Amino acid sequence: MDHSGRKVDFGFEQVGWSDKAERVRSVFASVAGKYDLMNDLMSFGVHRLWKQFTLSLTGLRPGDRALDVAGGTGDLAAGLLRQVGKSGRVVLSDVNPAMLGMGRDRLLDRGFVSNVDCIVADAERLPFEDGSFACVTIGFGLRNVTDKAAALRSMYRVLKPGGQLLVLEFSTPVAPGLKPVYDAYSFKVLPLLGQMVAGDAASYRYLAESIRMHPDQETLLEMFRAAGFAQSRYHNLTGGIVALHRGYKI
Amino acid sequence: MPATAAWLASLEALLNRSIDGSAQAAALTRRLQGTSLDIDAGITRVRARAVGSRLVLLASDETSADAVISGSLPALLQLLRGGAAPLAGKAAAAVSGNAEVANLYRSLFLLARPDPEEELSRWIGDFAARRVSRFAGQTIEFARRVRRTAGENIAEYLQEESRDLVNGTELEEFLRGVDDVRETADRIEARLERLGTSAKGTP
Repeated sequence: MDHSGRKVDFGFEQVGWSDKAERVRSVFASVAGKYDLMNDLMSFGVHRLWKQFTLSLTGLRPGDRALDVAGGTGDLAAGLLRQVGKSGRVVLSDVNPAMLGMGRDRLLDRGFVSNVDCIVADAERLPFEDGSFACVTIGFGLRNVTDKAAALRSMYRVLKPGGQLLVLEFSTPVAPGLKPVYDAYSFKVLPLLGQMVAGDAASYRYLAESIRMHPDQETLLEMFRAAGFAQSRYHNLTGGIVALHRGYKI
Repeated sequence: MPATAAWLASLEALLNRSIDGSAQAAALTRRLQGTSLDIDAGITRVRARAVGSRLVLLASDETSADAVISGSLPALLQLLRGGAAPLAGKAAAAVSGNAEVANLYRSLFLLARPDPEEELSRWIGDFAARRVSRFAGQTIEFARRVRRTAGENIAEYLQEESRDLVNGTELEEFLRGVDDVRETADRIEARLERLGTSAKGTP
Protein backbone atom coordinates (compact mmCIF):
# COMPACT_ATOMS: atom_id res chain seq x y z
CA MET A 1 0.00 0.00 0.00
CA ASP A 2 1.28 3.46 -0.88
CA HIS A 3 1.51 5.66 2.20
CA SER A 4 3.43 8.54 0.63
CA GLY A 5 2.13 11.84 1.98
CA ARG A 6 0.31 10.13 4.81
CA LYS A 7 1.12 11.31 8.32
CA VAL A 8 1.31 9.35 11.54
CA ASP A 9 1.80 10.20 15.22
CA PHE A 10 5.26 10.15 16.65
CA GLY A 11 4.45 11.25 20.16
CA PHE A 12 2.64 14.58 19.76
CA GLU A 13 4.45 15.19 16.48
CA GLN A 14 3.12 14.27 13.04
CA VAL A 15 5.73 12.56 10.87
CA GLY A 16 5.69 10.87 7.50
CA TRP A 17 4.28 7.33 7.47
CA SER A 18 7.59 5.81 6.45
CA ASP A 19 9.61 7.93 8.91
CA LYS A 20 8.04 6.68 12.13
CA ALA A 21 9.72 3.27 12.13
CA GLU A 22 13.13 4.87 11.73
CA ARG A 23 12.46 7.45 14.45
CA VAL A 24 11.26 4.72 16.84
CA ARG A 25 14.30 2.64 15.98
CA SER A 26 16.61 5.53 16.87
CA VAL A 27 14.76 6.13 20.19
CA PHE A 28 15.19 2.53 21.27
CA ALA A 29 18.74 2.30 19.97
CA SER A 30 19.48 5.27 22.22
CA VAL A 31 17.89 3.81 25.37
CA ALA A 32 18.68 0.09 24.88
CA GLY A 33 21.60 0.06 27.30
CA LYS A 34 19.61 1.46 30.23
CA TYR A 35 16.21 0.10 29.21
CA ASP A 36 15.72 -2.34 32.09
CA LEU A 37 17.07 0.01 34.72
CA MET A 38 14.81 2.78 33.46
CA ASN A 39 11.79 0.48 33.44
CA ASP A 40 12.40 -0.36 37.09
CA LEU A 41 12.91 3.27 38.03
CA MET A 42 9.97 4.62 36.06
CA SER A 43 7.46 2.04 37.23
CA PHE A 44 8.94 1.47 40.71
CA GLY A 45 9.37 -2.15 39.67
CA VAL A 46 5.66 -2.66 39.02
CA HIS A 47 6.33 -3.53 35.36
CA ARG A 48 7.50 -6.91 36.62
CA LEU A 49 4.07 -7.56 38.12
CA TRP A 50 2.33 -6.46 34.91
CA LYS A 51 4.50 -8.87 32.93
CA GLN A 52 3.97 -11.65 35.45
CA PHE A 53 0.21 -11.17 35.19
CA THR A 54 0.46 -11.33 31.40
CA LEU A 55 2.44 -14.55 31.60
CA SER A 56 -0.10 -16.07 33.97
CA LEU A 57 -2.76 -15.81 31.25
CA THR A 58 -0.91 -17.32 28.30
CA GLY A 59 -2.37 -20.81 28.79
CA LEU A 60 0.80 -22.25 27.29
CA ARG A 61 1.72 -25.85 27.88
CA PRO A 62 5.08 -27.62 27.61
CA GLY A 63 5.85 -28.24 23.96
CA ASP A 64 3.95 -25.20 22.64
CA ARG A 65 5.40 -22.53 20.36
CA ALA A 66 5.12 -18.88 21.37
CA LEU A 67 6.10 -15.57 19.82
CA ASP A 68 7.10 -12.43 21.69
CA VAL A 69 6.77 -9.48 19.32
CA ALA A 70 8.71 -6.29 20.05
CA GLY A 71 10.22 -8.37 22.80
CA GLY A 72 12.92 -5.86 23.66
CA THR A 73 15.14 -7.15 26.38
CA GLY A 74 13.32 -10.47 26.63
CA ASP A 75 11.43 -10.28 29.94
CA LEU A 76 8.27 -11.84 28.54
CA ALA A 77 10.23 -14.25 26.35
CA ALA A 78 12.04 -15.64 29.42
CA GLY A 79 8.70 -16.31 31.08
CA LEU A 80 7.33 -17.91 27.92
CA LEU A 81 10.40 -20.13 27.72
CA ARG A 82 9.81 -21.37 31.24
CA GLN A 83 6.20 -22.20 30.33
CA VAL A 84 6.88 -24.09 27.08
CA GLY A 85 9.78 -26.00 28.60
CA LYS A 86 12.59 -27.68 26.74
CA SER A 87 10.25 -29.35 24.28
CA GLY A 88 8.68 -26.03 23.26
CA ARG A 89 10.03 -23.10 21.32
CA VAL A 90 9.90 -19.33 21.71
CA VAL A 91 10.67 -16.72 19.07
CA LEU A 92 11.80 -13.34 20.32
CA SER A 93 11.35 -10.69 17.65
CA ASP A 94 12.01 -7.00 17.58
CA VAL A 95 12.35 -4.45 14.83
CA ASN A 96 15.32 -2.96 16.61
CA PRO A 97 18.60 -4.95 16.37
CA ALA A 98 20.10 -3.16 19.40
CA MET A 99 17.18 -4.14 21.65
CA LEU A 100 17.07 -7.64 20.23
CA GLY A 101 20.81 -8.02 20.88
CA MET A 102 20.22 -7.08 24.52
CA GLY A 103 17.35 -9.53 24.73
CA ARG A 104 19.34 -12.37 23.20
CA ASP A 105 22.28 -11.77 25.58
CA ARG A 106 19.98 -11.71 28.59
CA LEU A 107 18.26 -14.93 27.56
CA LEU A 108 21.65 -16.57 27.08
CA ASP A 109 22.70 -15.34 30.53
CA ARG A 110 19.59 -16.94 31.97
CA GLY A 111 20.49 -20.26 30.37
CA PHE A 112 17.99 -20.25 27.49
CA VAL A 113 19.97 -21.43 24.50
CA SER A 114 18.52 -24.27 22.50
CA ASN A 115 14.85 -23.47 22.13
CA VAL A 116 14.81 -19.74 21.46
CA ASP A 117 15.18 -17.88 18.17
CA CYS A 118 15.90 -14.17 18.00
CA ILE A 119 14.66 -12.55 14.83
CA VAL A 120 14.63 -8.96 13.62
CA ALA A 121 11.08 -8.60 12.36
CA ASP A 122 8.50 -5.91 11.75
CA ALA A 123 5.28 -6.55 13.69
CA GLU A 124 3.26 -5.43 10.66
CA ARG A 125 4.78 -8.11 8.44
CA LEU A 126 5.75 -11.05 10.60
CA PRO A 127 7.92 -13.48 8.63
CA PHE A 128 6.23 -16.64 9.87
CA GLU A 129 3.85 -19.13 8.36
CA ASP A 130 0.13 -18.92 9.10
CA GLY A 131 -0.91 -20.69 12.30
CA SER A 132 2.60 -21.07 13.73
CA PHE A 133 2.11 -20.11 17.38
CA ALA A 134 -0.13 -21.04 20.30
CA CYS A 135 0.38 -17.63 21.87
CA VAL A 136 1.67 -14.25 20.74
CA THR A 137 2.61 -11.54 23.21
CA ILE A 138 3.60 -7.94 22.68
CA GLY A 139 4.59 -5.96 25.74
CA PHE A 140 4.85 -2.17 25.51
CA GLY A 141 5.48 -2.42 21.80
CA LEU A 142 2.21 -1.87 19.98
CA ARG A 143 2.12 1.90 20.50
CA ASN A 144 5.42 2.20 18.63
CA VAL A 145 4.10 0.36 15.60
CA THR A 146 3.20 2.59 12.66
CA ASP A 147 0.20 0.61 11.42
CA LYS A 148 -1.35 -0.99 14.50
CA ALA A 149 -4.24 -2.55 12.61
CA ALA A 150 -1.81 -4.24 10.23
CA ALA A 151 0.24 -5.51 13.18
CA LEU A 152 -2.87 -6.98 14.81
CA ARG A 153 -3.84 -8.68 11.54
CA SER A 154 -0.30 -10.01 11.15
CA MET A 155 -0.29 -11.41 14.69
CA TYR A 156 -3.73 -12.92 14.09
CA ARG A 157 -2.41 -14.63 10.96
CA VAL A 158 0.51 -16.34 12.71
CA LEU A 159 -1.66 -17.62 15.57
CA LYS A 160 -2.95 -21.18 15.51
CA PRO A 161 -6.73 -21.62 15.76
CA GLY A 162 -7.47 -21.43 19.49
CA GLY A 163 -4.33 -19.37 20.02
CA GLN A 164 -4.30 -16.20 22.05
CA LEU A 165 -2.84 -12.72 21.55
CA LEU A 166 -1.88 -10.76 24.65
CA VAL A 167 -1.15 -7.06 24.28
CA LEU A 168 0.31 -5.38 27.35
CA GLU A 169 0.41 -1.65 26.80
CA PHE A 170 0.12 1.69 28.52
CA SER A 171 -3.43 2.93 28.40
CA THR A 172 -5.78 5.52 29.84
CA PRO A 173 -6.05 5.77 33.65
CA VAL A 174 -9.57 5.09 34.88
CA ALA A 175 -9.07 5.27 38.63
CA PRO A 176 -10.56 8.51 40.02
CA GLY A 177 -7.98 11.23 40.62
CA LEU A 178 -5.14 9.28 39.05
CA LYS A 179 -4.92 11.11 35.72
CA PRO A 180 -3.56 14.50 36.90
CA VAL A 181 -0.93 12.80 39.08
CA TYR A 182 -0.01 10.46 36.23
CA ASP A 183 0.21 13.33 33.73
CA ALA A 184 2.46 15.34 36.02
CA TYR A 185 4.67 12.34 36.59
CA SER A 186 4.86 11.46 32.87
CA PHE A 187 5.65 14.90 31.55
CA LYS A 188 7.74 16.33 34.38
CA VAL A 189 9.48 13.46 36.12
CA LEU A 190 10.07 10.92 33.32
CA PRO A 191 12.09 13.20 31.00
CA LEU A 192 14.13 14.34 34.00
CA LEU A 193 14.75 10.74 35.02
CA GLY A 194 15.67 9.87 31.42
CA GLN A 195 18.16 12.71 31.33
CA MET A 196 19.74 11.73 34.64
CA VAL A 197 19.97 7.98 34.10
CA ALA A 198 20.06 7.40 30.35
CA GLY A 199 21.30 10.84 29.32
CA ASP A 200 18.34 11.15 26.95
CA ALA A 201 15.37 13.29 27.95
CA ALA A 202 13.86 13.41 24.45
CA SER A 203 13.32 9.65 24.22
CA TYR A 204 11.46 9.61 27.51
CA ARG A 205 9.42 12.63 26.48
CA TYR A 206 8.47 10.58 23.41
CA LEU A 207 7.48 7.73 25.75
CA ALA A 208 5.02 9.97 27.63
CA GLU A 209 3.67 11.48 24.42
CA SER A 210 3.29 8.15 22.63
CA ILE A 211 1.30 6.79 25.59
CA ARG A 212 -1.16 9.69 25.28
CA MET A 213 -1.55 9.10 21.53
CA HIS A 214 -2.10 5.36 21.92
CA PRO A 215 -5.72 4.16 21.54
CA ASP A 216 -7.60 3.86 24.82
CA GLN A 217 -8.91 0.54 26.14
CA GLU A 218 -12.21 0.48 24.24
CA THR A 219 -10.69 1.66 20.95
CA LEU A 220 -8.01 -1.01 21.06
CA LEU A 221 -10.68 -3.58 21.90
CA GLU A 222 -12.55 -2.55 18.75
CA MET A 223 -9.32 -2.89 16.77
CA PHE A 224 -8.96 -6.43 18.14
CA ARG A 225 -12.44 -7.28 16.90
CA ALA A 226 -11.79 -5.67 13.54
CA ALA A 227 -8.65 -7.80 13.16
CA GLY A 228 -10.76 -10.92 13.64
CA PHE A 229 -10.11 -11.80 17.27
CA ALA A 230 -12.90 -13.51 19.20
CA GLN A 231 -13.73 -13.21 22.89
CA SER A 232 -11.69 -10.04 23.04
CA ARG A 233 -11.52 -8.30 26.39
CA TYR A 234 -9.14 -6.30 28.51
CA HIS A 235 -8.00 -6.01 32.09
CA ASN A 236 -6.99 -2.69 33.62
CA LEU A 237 -3.85 -2.83 35.72
CA THR A 238 -2.77 -0.19 38.25
CA GLY A 239 -5.90 1.87 37.71
CA GLY A 240 -5.72 1.68 33.91
CA ILE A 241 -2.18 3.06 33.58
CA VAL A 242 -1.59 -0.22 31.81
CA ALA A 243 -4.15 -2.49 30.17
CA LEU A 244 -3.82 -6.07 29.05
CA HIS A 245 -5.91 -6.83 25.96
CA ARG A 246 -6.47 -10.39 24.90
CA GLY A 247 -8.27 -12.11 22.09
CA TYR A 248 -8.47 -15.56 20.55
CA LYS A 249 -8.23 -16.81 17.02
CA ILE A 250 -11.13 -19.20 16.71
CA MET B 1 -17.63 -3.64 27.11
CA PRO B 2 -16.44 -3.03 30.66
CA ALA B 3 -12.99 -4.12 31.75
CA THR B 4 -12.78 -7.62 33.17
CA ALA B 5 -11.27 -7.55 36.65
CA ALA B 6 -7.72 -8.85 36.83
CA TRP B 7 -8.59 -11.24 39.67
CA LEU B 8 -11.21 -12.88 37.43
CA ALA B 9 -8.61 -13.36 34.71
CA SER B 10 -6.22 -14.95 37.20
CA LEU B 11 -8.97 -17.22 38.53
CA GLU B 12 -9.92 -18.19 34.98
CA ALA B 13 -6.30 -19.04 34.13
CA LEU B 14 -6.07 -21.09 37.34
CA LEU B 15 -9.22 -23.08 36.54
CA ASN B 16 -8.22 -23.60 32.91
CA ARG B 17 -4.85 -24.99 33.95
CA SER B 18 -6.67 -27.54 36.10
CA ILE B 19 -9.10 -28.31 33.27
CA ASP B 20 -6.14 -28.88 30.94
CA GLY B 21 -4.75 -31.36 33.44
CA SER B 22 -7.94 -33.40 33.72
CA ALA B 23 -9.43 -35.27 30.76
CA GLN B 24 -12.72 -35.57 32.64
CA ALA B 25 -12.89 -31.81 33.26
CA ALA B 26 -11.99 -31.05 29.64
CA ALA B 27 -14.74 -33.40 28.42
CA LEU B 28 -17.23 -31.79 30.78
CA THR B 29 -16.25 -28.32 29.55
CA ARG B 30 -16.80 -29.42 25.95
CA ARG B 31 -20.17 -30.83 26.96
CA LEU B 32 -21.11 -27.47 28.44
CA GLN B 33 -20.00 -25.61 25.28
CA GLY B 34 -22.26 -22.66 24.59
CA THR B 35 -23.90 -22.62 28.03
CA SER B 36 -23.37 -20.10 30.77
CA LEU B 37 -23.80 -19.89 34.51
CA ASP B 38 -24.13 -16.78 36.65
CA ILE B 39 -22.67 -16.96 40.14
CA ASP B 40 -24.29 -14.28 42.25
CA ALA B 41 -22.54 -13.75 45.56
CA GLY B 42 -24.35 -10.50 46.38
CA ILE B 43 -21.22 -8.34 46.35
CA THR B 44 -20.34 -9.50 42.85
CA ARG B 45 -21.91 -11.42 39.99
CA VAL B 46 -19.67 -13.49 37.74
CA ARG B 47 -20.57 -15.27 34.54
CA ALA B 48 -18.89 -18.56 33.67
CA ARG B 49 -19.12 -19.66 30.06
CA ALA B 50 -17.73 -22.80 28.45
CA VAL B 51 -16.00 -22.08 25.16
CA GLY B 52 -14.42 -25.08 23.48
CA SER B 53 -12.45 -26.84 26.17
CA ARG B 54 -11.90 -23.63 28.14
CA LEU B 55 -13.84 -21.83 30.80
CA VAL B 56 -14.28 -18.07 30.46
CA LEU B 57 -15.08 -15.92 33.49
CA LEU B 58 -16.55 -12.46 32.94
CA ALA B 59 -18.36 -9.83 34.91
CA SER B 60 -22.02 -10.70 34.41
CA ASP B 61 -24.03 -8.46 32.10
CA GLU B 62 -27.73 -7.82 31.49
CA THR B 63 -28.28 -10.90 29.31
CA SER B 64 -29.65 -13.94 31.07
CA ALA B 65 -27.57 -17.04 31.71
CA ASP B 66 -28.77 -20.66 31.43
CA ALA B 67 -28.58 -21.05 35.19
CA VAL B 68 -27.91 -18.92 38.23
CA ILE B 69 -26.43 -19.98 41.54
CA SER B 70 -26.91 -17.31 44.16
CA GLY B 71 -26.17 -17.10 47.84
CA SER B 72 -23.74 -15.82 50.39
CA LEU B 73 -20.06 -16.26 49.70
CA PRO B 74 -19.57 -18.93 52.43
CA ALA B 75 -22.55 -20.91 51.10
CA LEU B 76 -21.23 -20.75 47.53
CA LEU B 77 -17.76 -21.76 48.64
CA GLN B 78 -19.19 -24.67 50.57
CA LEU B 79 -21.19 -25.69 47.52
CA LEU B 80 -18.10 -25.53 45.33
CA ARG B 81 -16.02 -27.39 47.87
CA GLY B 82 -18.36 -30.31 47.39
CA GLY B 83 -20.32 -30.02 50.59
CA ALA B 84 -24.06 -29.63 50.65
CA ALA B 85 -25.06 -26.00 50.97
CA PRO B 86 -27.25 -25.03 53.91
CA LEU B 87 -30.84 -25.62 52.90
CA ALA B 88 -32.47 -22.65 54.51
CA GLY B 89 -31.81 -19.33 56.13
CA LYS B 90 -29.68 -16.40 55.10
CA ALA B 91 -26.68 -18.56 54.23
CA ALA B 92 -28.50 -20.79 51.76
CA ALA B 93 -27.38 -21.14 48.14
CA ALA B 94 -30.19 -21.20 45.61
CA VAL B 95 -30.22 -22.47 42.04
CA SER B 96 -32.52 -21.04 39.40
CA GLY B 97 -32.84 -21.71 35.67
CA ASN B 98 -31.55 -24.95 34.20
CA ALA B 99 -30.66 -27.08 37.24
CA GLU B 100 -28.81 -29.67 35.14
CA VAL B 101 -26.48 -27.04 33.70
CA ALA B 102 -25.90 -25.63 37.20
CA ASN B 103 -25.07 -29.07 38.50
CA LEU B 104 -22.68 -29.78 35.62
CA TYR B 105 -20.88 -26.50 36.24
CA ARG B 106 -20.65 -27.41 39.92
CA SER B 107 -19.09 -30.74 38.95
CA LEU B 108 -16.72 -28.89 36.63
CA PHE B 109 -15.61 -26.54 39.40
CA LEU B 110 -15.00 -29.53 41.65
CA LEU B 111 -12.92 -31.27 38.99
CA ALA B 112 -11.02 -28.07 38.21
CA ARG B 113 -10.23 -27.36 41.84
CA PRO B 114 -6.60 -26.19 41.79
CA ASP B 115 -3.89 -28.00 43.72
CA PRO B 116 -2.16 -25.30 45.83
CA GLU B 117 1.16 -27.17 45.83
CA GLU B 118 1.10 -27.52 42.05
CA GLU B 119 0.33 -23.81 41.63
CA LEU B 120 3.06 -22.83 44.04
CA SER B 121 5.56 -24.99 42.17
CA ARG B 122 4.99 -22.86 39.07
CA TRP B 123 6.42 -19.90 40.96
CA ILE B 124 9.11 -21.33 43.17
CA GLY B 125 9.84 -24.76 41.73
CA ASP B 126 8.84 -28.29 42.73
CA PHE B 127 11.25 -28.81 45.59
CA ALA B 128 10.59 -25.51 47.34
CA ALA B 129 6.83 -25.87 46.77
CA ARG B 130 6.88 -29.33 48.38
CA ARG B 131 8.76 -27.95 51.40
CA VAL B 132 6.44 -24.94 51.73
CA SER B 133 3.40 -27.18 51.33
CA ARG B 134 4.61 -29.58 54.04
CA PHE B 135 5.44 -26.66 56.31
CA ALA B 136 2.00 -25.14 55.73
CA GLY B 137 0.34 -28.52 56.43
CA GLN B 138 2.31 -28.95 59.66
CA THR B 139 1.54 -25.36 60.69
CA ILE B 140 -2.18 -25.87 60.13
CA GLU B 141 -2.09 -29.14 62.09
CA PHE B 142 -0.14 -27.43 64.89
CA ALA B 143 -2.67 -24.58 64.95
CA ARG B 144 -5.55 -27.06 65.22
CA ARG B 145 -3.79 -28.87 68.08
CA VAL B 146 -3.08 -25.59 69.85
CA ARG B 147 -6.70 -24.51 69.50
CA ARG B 148 -7.98 -27.85 70.85
CA THR B 149 -5.50 -27.95 73.74
CA ALA B 150 -6.07 -24.29 74.64
CA GLY B 151 -9.82 -24.90 74.65
CA GLU B 152 -9.43 -27.89 76.96
CA ASN B 153 -7.09 -25.98 79.29
CA ILE B 154 -9.36 -22.95 79.51
CA ALA B 155 -12.39 -25.16 80.16
CA GLU B 156 -10.51 -27.03 82.86
CA TYR B 157 -9.39 -23.78 84.53
CA LEU B 158 -12.89 -22.32 84.54
CA GLN B 159 -14.41 -25.56 85.85
CA GLU B 160 -11.82 -26.80 88.31
CA GLU B 161 -9.74 -23.78 89.40
CA SER B 162 -11.86 -20.65 89.29
CA ARG B 163 -15.15 -22.57 89.61
CA ASP B 164 -16.85 -20.08 87.26
CA LEU B 165 -18.29 -22.96 85.28
CA VAL B 166 -19.59 -26.31 86.41
CA ASN B 167 -18.05 -29.46 85.01
CA GLY B 168 -19.95 -32.11 83.10
CA THR B 169 -20.56 -34.40 86.09
CA GLU B 170 -21.88 -31.59 88.25
CA LEU B 171 -24.06 -30.37 85.41
CA GLU B 172 -25.55 -33.85 84.98
CA GLU B 173 -26.12 -34.10 88.72
CA PHE B 174 -27.85 -30.72 88.71
CA LEU B 175 -30.03 -31.70 85.76
CA ARG B 176 -30.92 -34.97 87.46
CA GLY B 177 -31.89 -32.95 90.58
CA VAL B 178 -34.06 -30.66 88.42
CA ASP B 179 -35.76 -33.75 86.95
CA ASP B 180 -36.35 -35.14 90.45
CA VAL B 181 -37.87 -31.85 91.64
CA ARG B 182 -40.11 -31.69 88.57
CA GLU B 183 -41.27 -35.28 89.03
CA THR B 184 -41.91 -34.68 92.74
CA ALA B 185 -43.87 -31.52 91.92
CA ASP B 186 -45.89 -33.48 89.34
CA ARG B 187 -46.62 -36.18 91.89
CA ILE B 188 -47.71 -33.67 94.53
CA GLU B 189 -49.89 -31.91 91.98
CA ALA B 190 -51.54 -35.22 91.01
CA ARG B 191 -52.05 -36.15 94.66
CA LEU B 192 -53.55 -32.76 95.50
CA GLU B 193 -55.85 -33.11 92.52
CA ARG B 194 -56.99 -36.53 93.76
CA LEU B 195 -57.46 -35.21 97.27
CA GLY B 196 -59.47 -32.30 95.92
CA THR B 197 -61.67 -34.63 93.88
CA SER B 198 -62.34 -36.95 96.81
CA ALA B 199 -63.01 -33.97 99.14
CA LYS B 200 -65.68 -32.71 96.71
CA GLY B 201 -67.33 -36.18 96.71
CA THR B 202 -67.51 -36.34 100.54
CA PRO B 203 -70.95 -35.27 101.95
